[in-house]
Amino acid sequence: MDVILGITTANEVIVITSRAFVRGVSILKADDKDKTRILSPHTMMAFTGESGDTVQFAEFIQANIQLHEMRNAVELSPSAITSFLRNQLATSLRSRKPYNVNVLVAGYDEAKGKPELNWVDYLSAKVSVPYAAHGYAAYYTLSLLDRWHRTDLTLEEGLKVAEMCVAELKKRLPIDFKGVDIKVVDKDGIRTEKVIE
Amino acid sequence: MYAEHFSEPATSHVASAPIEHQFYPYASNGGTILAIAGADYALLAGDTRHITGYSINTRFRPSIHTLENLGGPERAIVVAANGFSADGDALVRRLAQRAEWYTYNHNKPLSVSACARLVQTMLYGKRTFPYYVHTIVAGLDESGRGEVYSFDPVGSYEREQCRAGGSAASLLMPFLDNQVNKKNQYDAATGLPQVATDLPLEETLKLVKDAFSSVTERHIHVGDYLEIKIVTKEGVKVEYFPLKRD
Amino acid sequence: MSDPSSINGGAIVAMVGKDCVAIACDMRLGMQALTVSNDFPKIYQYNNTFIGLAGLATDVLTLSEVFRYKVNMYNLREERDIEPETFANLVSSTLYEKRFGPYFVGPIVAGINSKTGKPYICGFDLIGCINFAKDFVVGGTTSHQLFGMCESLWEPDLEPEDLFETISQALMNAQDRDAMSGAGGLVYIITKDKIVKRLLKTRQD
Repeated sequence: MDVILGITTANEVIVITSRAFVRGVSILKADDKDKTRILSPHTMMAFTGESGDTVQFAEFIQANIQLHEMRNAVELSPSAITSFLRNQLATSLRSRKPYNVNVLVAGYDEAKGKPELNWVDYLSAKVSVPYAAHGYAAYYTLSLLDRWHRTDLTLEEGLKVAEMCVAELKKRLPIDFKGVDIKVVDKDGIRTEKVIE
Repeated sequence: MYAEHFSEPATSHVASAPIEHQFYPYASNGGTILAIAGADYALLAGDTRHITGYSINTRFRPSIHTLENLGGPERAIVVAANGFSADGDALVRRLAQRAEWYTYNHNKPLSVSACARLVQTMLYGKRTFPYYVHTIVAGLDESGRGEVYSFDPVGSYEREQCRAGGSAASLLMPFLDNQVNKKNQYDAATGLPQVATDLPLEETLKLVKDAFSSVTERHIHVGDYLEIKIVTKEGVKVEYFPLKRD
Repeated sequence: MSDPSSINGGAIVAMVGKDCVAIACDMRLGMQALTVSNDFPKIYQYNNTFIGLAGLATDVLTLSEVFRYKVNMYNLREERDIEPETFANLVSSTLYEKRFGPYFVGPIVAGINSKTGKPYICGFDLIGCINFAKDFVVGGTTSHQLFGMCESLWEPDLEPEDLFETISQALMNAQDRDAMSGAGGLVYIITKDKIVKRLLKTRQD
């Protein structure tokens, strides 16, 4: 029941992740900031799935992207990073023990001057989207986003929509997800914009 | 010597595990039906092929039934129940009986809408052991307009302009949406969606024959002959149209 | 519903006309009943040949990249464009390579042979058996509905504009009767010296 949500605005991507770390029926940690990894100065990933697989896979991608950037002294675009990530996940899918990880890749493409959000599921189906969610959160938030999202949203408007989504999730999800971290990716990089307890 | 006496013969039926026999009370007999309502007619059509598995039991088993009614030939109701034909036959026979009793009890014709409600109660009456059929009822209302009612196996029903049922319903239905209800068609001059209007009988007949000829090409359950029953104020007219036999 | 070929949904169709071919697809990507995207085209172009890939989205993407690689290698080796017939055999052998652990797709190929000018379409099953059709081929979760539409709307020797109308009506009305497909349409009309790409605005439910 992890909440993973991404919303693009005119100039940035907003990434929302829940703060509860859940195993079985227990919440093991109420201020988890571990559902995201920074892959490059302008690209981050948020993930859910089988615990163990998630962090292992995310850090594997992170390490490889960082290695590539050190070797070649270039920053990869968000779409290039997502392609690499998908390729690794797709290869793993037909292996003996596939990674069970769902991913959102949020980034700011400096060359195009545009924010970008990619949705990738554990089967490695990949699609570029204006807004996306994984798991149960999708059922509650996508309809709100269908109604309120615009491609020309300002950051303030985007955050307002984000808060609407979080309010809806608080109301409808049967277990407390202990609030969310809201992160923003824009031309200046990645930052934590706000925490909703 | 004793060993020989007590040893089992090679063809023994004593099995190590019990053999299970199960009776499955349903079968599928293929075929497809189609109904369209017009301003002054209602039409119910179906192919006459009857199958089990890949075998053709018969090429000619008409499956559109006519319920005679009080109030003259124009009040006749046509009905077809496609799917498991034994259940379909049982349903239609019982429906015919109930419709006849209705006219005796009330001394008035059974309207198509009342017939539809009756079909619902009969289907839902067997909610726990359903008639395995897709049922369509068609006829004319009091003012002479065509009406079509379609049912799921447990009696959920709706009045519609047109409906396909049976094996090839999924092939027929989008074609009907497009050609009868004008779905996805726009007026070239205004750019507005085209509205569905009542089709003349001649055009509907052409449409039905074309639709079945097409479906016969792509679905192995459909073929041999097409039986069309048309209810107008003159009564019920039956037409047969040859379909491919392969 | 855990059937791999009907998790993501999709509709594809190709038709032959008079000196032209058309290929079309829907735009939906879903996870079971949930629509994730309405911007997921399933047609890919390699030289002057087109392939529609419907089925498991991950295999759609993987195969589109495999074919891009293989066609690029063909171009370098042969120093010429690949013809539709050749590409169809490449698709077939690529799929059969994975005979016992297949890609869950039902591809269709469409194009015009640049030498002969003859329109060419064909379809495949998931392990590469080619269906050489003279009229039309369909694929995806909407295949039944598409068969019904195509068999009744299609006629021989349609001109490009009439072929566009025919394939579009076939696609739209078919996908409206399938909950797993829809959310827009994409149509390519291919003639010997021109390719026209059109987006269809359709209902989103």
